[in-house]
Amino acid sequence: MHVVRVVLAFLRVAALNELQYRANFVLQLIQSLLALGTGLVILALVFDQVTDLNGWTHPQILAVMGVHVMMGGLIQMVIQPNILQFMADIEEGTFDYVLTRPVDAQLLVSIRSFRIWQATDVLVGAVVLIIAVTRPGHAVEPATAMLFAASFLVGWAMLYSVWLILATTAFWFVHVDQIVDLLNGFYQAGRWPVGIYPGWLRHGLTFLVPLAYAITVPAEVLTSKVSAGAVAGAAAFAVVLVALARWFWRAGLRRYASASS
Amino acid sequence: MIDRLCALGAFYVQTIQIALARQLQHRAHNLLFVLGMVAEPLVYLAVWSTVARARGGQVAGYTGGKLAAYYIVWTLVRHMNIVFTPYGFEGRIRSGKMSGLLLLPLHPIHHDLADFAGLKLVTIVTWIPIALVLAIAFRPALDPGALQIFVFCVAIWGAFVVRSTFMWALGLLSFWTTRVAALFELYLAIELVLSGRLVPMSFLPAWTKTIAAWLPFQWAFAFPIESLVTPMAAGELLCGLAMQLVWICIGALLVSMVWRRAVRRYTAVGG
Amino acid sequence: MEPAIRVARLCKTFSVPERDPGVRAALAALFHRKTREVTAVVDVSLEIASGEIVGFLGPNGAGKTTTLKVLSGLLHPTSGDVRVLGHVPAMRETAYLCEIALVMGNRNQLQWDIPVADSFLLHRTIYRIPWADFRRRRDELVALLELEDLLRKPVRNLSLGERMRAELAASLLHAPRVLFFDEPTLGLDVVMQKRMREFVAEYNRRHGATILLTSHYMADVSTLCRRVIVIHRGRICFDGDLETLSDEVAAYKEIWVTLGEPADLSMYGEIRSCDGVRIALRVPKASAPGVTARLLQNHPVLDLTVEDPPLEDVIEMAFRAGPSAPDVAPPSEDRVR
Repeated sequence: MHVVRVVLAFLRVAALNELQYRANFVLQLIQSLLALGTGLVILALVFDQVTDLNGWTHPQILAVMGVHVMMGGLIQMVIQPNILQFMADIEEGTFDYVLTRPVDAQLLVSIRSFRIWQATDVLVGAVVLIIAVTRPGHAVEPATAMLFAASFLVGWAMLYSVWLILATTAFWFVHVDQIVDLLNGFYQAGRWPVGIYPGWLRHGLTFLVPLAYAITVPAEVLTSKVSAGAVAGAAAFAVVLVALARWFWRAGLRRYASASS
Repeated sequence: MIDRLCALGAFYVQTIQIALARQLQHRAHNLLFVLGMVAEPLVYLAVWSTVARARGGQVAGYTGGKLAAYYIVWTLVRHMNIVFTPYGFEGRIRSGKMSGLLLLPLHPIHHDLADFAGLKLVTIVTWIPIALVLAIAFRPALDPGALQIFVFCVAIWGAFVVRSTFMWALGLLSFWTTRVAALFELYLAIELVLSGRLVPMSFLPAWTKTIAAWLPFQWAFAFPIESLVTPMAAGELLCGLAMQLVWICIGALLVSMVWRRAVRRYTAVGG
Repeated sequence: MEPAIRVARLCKTFSVPERDPGVRAALAALFHRKTREVTAVVDVSLEIASGEIVGFLGPNGAGKTTTLKVLSGLLHPTSGDVRVLGHVPAMRETAYLCEIALVMGNRNQLQWDIPVADSFLLHRTIYRIPWADFRRRRDELVALLELEDLLRKPVRNLSLGERMRAELAASLLHAPRVLFFDEPTLGLDVVMQKRMREFVAEYNRRHGATILLTSHYMADVSTLCRRVIVIHRGRICFDGDLETLSDEVAAYKEIWVTLGEPADLSMYGEIRSCDGVRIALRVPKASAPGVTARLLQNHPVLDLTVEDPPLEDVIEMAFRAGPSAPDVAPPSEDRVR
């Protein structure tokens, strides 16, 4: 259908854009590896002092780190570039061009920009995850893998909704570039299992910036710490968030259409 | 000579005022900016507090309260460390703004230092209420003496200048290559570990600390924090300030040496 | 026949933040934000038939862009009835969006880093243009705008003039029936401006698209538009032909005369400029022939021309004449865009 064709058209444009800059791939890889390196350093320093952290063992935390890096890569590939483009359009007055297209504005805003080379993070994260999860005598069953994929996608949908909700405030405040730093900053909290944070912070992470669902839960699926029921609960929460994001976006559009651009 | 210093001083004052007025307009922006940077230290704090609890109350000499103090002060020092980066340099050369700056009768680094200093003033003001909230939430063990507070106030600005000069020197490489980014990322990764940003210096193994002693990183980060959080003798505190000055001089020397060559290359190659 | 664009008593007001200069005021603004109600457009009514090219004239902040944005569906009117091609623009129906195009001077819509041809392909997908139609229109536009050499270049490598031509082509690929141009010749050099105007006129001739154009370049308006609408302070102060505008508003002529020796000509009429021997006189239209005769008779005239007043002066007089309705408080002010 038309929507799929439009998405593919923009993917094609992104490929054309980025394949020109092969050097970016190398740079991205370097960045991914450096970030992983510093993560492993702190993990090593911690496990120098203890053998488990609130019940989480080294491989289990490593699994969380792997999912964190993978999800982070997806955010940098798909969500962040589009949100940045949207905010730039609001500031420069070119959002009007989005509105004059015969395509749903939210869809257009969400798929226009892809940063393909950020896939290095997805790859690096996947490697870490596989290393963390495959231990001798402990193979991952297909059912678990599928449940993992489902919970990963659900988590992604939640993070997309949160990013969009915050970006939509640009319709009121215009200069909201800082939300990107804010979201990326708080995303760092997802590097560790949510269980190590004090109670009130844990609740904040679960409900405000649903990192628990997006990162810890998928990792827990693979390390057999959680059931399908929890994933179903996460899916329900995701539906609520997606609907909320859509509603708020439309409110933002109404505001844009009645106020000065 | 005195005239030039006065003129420079006036330039700084005016640029700071402009930066202040400009930045104060963006209320939500400022708040979100400071808030966004709070997550990283809180994550470290949560992790190390959990470790401390598992080890019966303290880790590497840091109790829960001292960890809280370290990471809360961390948030301010982190902000004082945000300066003009090599990415900004690249952007300037590409957009042609560098040419404009070269025409001014003033070394461009003064513009960046003054402009960012103005922004830092706004950041400090924005930070205070956030720090109070963090203090209420995490109950830091903080009991600094008067000299410590004084040294801290000086040290955060020393940190700002140290990092500015070294970032600027790194940025100058953009005149020779468009691939500064890879080098910059490597620099940042090393700095992250060896500056006291990832973990307090005493958490690092001995051989790492030896390497760090020869680098400017800890003087821009760990020292200001420790001056307030760790009880230190007057001699140590003043020695630390002196080290900051030493590194500022080294950085300034680097900048001035490389700048001359950079300008020659820029004007020969045309950007 | 149903007019392409019909506007009845359109009004649009905004709340705009304002701040006094200085650091103290900046600090105060942190706690208490002042806003001001600004009237951008008041009581605007107009009808534009299909195929017309209409110029919207007015100083900055007069309300031209606001009106244009209401017509293209980007802004909701505060009150009034607006219909374009039978649709209500504010509803932003897909069918409506496929019939219009918006081109804003100095604001790009093409993809920056990829060849122009690829941007065109993207456009085709978004507007669901059938391949045959797409190829035909693309070839026509490429020929008309001389884009053959530019098709394979990324937009960032094009000069401003080349970029505007490419933007123009892209915006016409879906054969819109109504075109909204917001200051399209902004920043272009004289030659490029002329080419743009010729293209727009030719496109209108071939396809009968209705074109609404805002500009503050008189030449855009005088060469392209037979009909102009003058907006000032949010109100229409003139709507009609350019000639009528001249006749009604500026009933005088300008006489440029070069004398053999300097002389004082103030008795003949108002002296607009005096450069020693080259003098410009402004006289009422009716008395122009008489004054010309007397000048030739009484003075050593080397050169003499009689001209209509420049369009800028005419427009300015239209502004000063003011909208027909008296200004009602609160007075409208220039708004920040």
